[in-house]
Amino acid sequence: MRIFASQHEFAYSWEEVSTNNWRKYCAHNDKASHVLAVDTLSRSLDATTHILRTERLITCRQSMPQWVKRIMGSDDTSYVYEVSYVDAQAKRVTMCSQNMTWSELLQVQEKVVYTPSVEAEGHTRFEQSARIIALCGGWQKIKNSIEEISLERFRQNAAKGREGFERVLEISRQVFAQQREEARQQREGVAA
Amino acid sequence: MSASLAPECNDVKERYDTCFLKWYSEKYLRNTATTDECEPLFRQYKTCLTKALKERGIDQMLEDAKADNKENDAEYMKPSAR
Repeated sequence: MRIFASQHEFAYSWEEVSTNNWRKYCAHNDKASHVLAVDTLSRSLDATTHILRTERLITCRQSMPQWVKRIMGSDDTSYVYEVSYVDAQAKRVTMCSQNMTWSELLQVQEKVVYTPSVEAEGHTRFEQSARIIALCGGWQKIKNSIEEISLERFRQNAAKGREGFERVLEISRQVFAQQREEARQQREGVAA
Repeated sequence: MSASLAPECNDVKERYDTCFLKWYSEKYLRNTATTDECEPLFRQYKTCLTKALKERGIDQMLEDAKADNKENDAEYMKPSAR
């Protein structure tokens, strides 16, 4: 088993981060070219707790070392199942995802949590952890190699993911500021 | 926003996504949402998507993944300390 854990602070409010979380894989994010599609499978709002539960299917394509392809099959398309829970009152987003493809050979489970930062007001804390386990039978050495490669790929994707998300947040803030400015000018144009 | 794995569902998906983002930022985050107002649009998108998932043979994989997720539901559907 390999474990991955990292934390990061985004210099954006929890509201901005949790909203843009839904847009993360948009066209502005050139770091997420491995994500081909994101589909929402279900969405429900709990009447009592007001927790918003969402299920999504993420379609990815990633290149892989030849020998891994031979073991896992040569199709580069993989699917990830993600369930997220937004608690707007507690200001907490929890996202749990797991691979569906090759799950009989390799298990990757990821958890991401977004909460308001305790260090800086108007910032958001991002915590990410993952567990990677090779299930395939065979030599321990092969299992270790598969886990190592997966962990390394996960780490690269995580870094790209953060960079890409920063870009999405920045663009979103610019667009929002522009819209507010245009609205202000319109109001003053009318008032004048 | 991103594309659907089924190109034939892209249009209805985009309409749903737009509705959801607006509802999420203007109502849900301000704690004024009582229902999911985008449900009708979601139903249209879901009809398209369900058909596409079945055609691609992904539906069974999904059922297995959902079964694995039951523990997460038990843990994260409880409200955290507020």
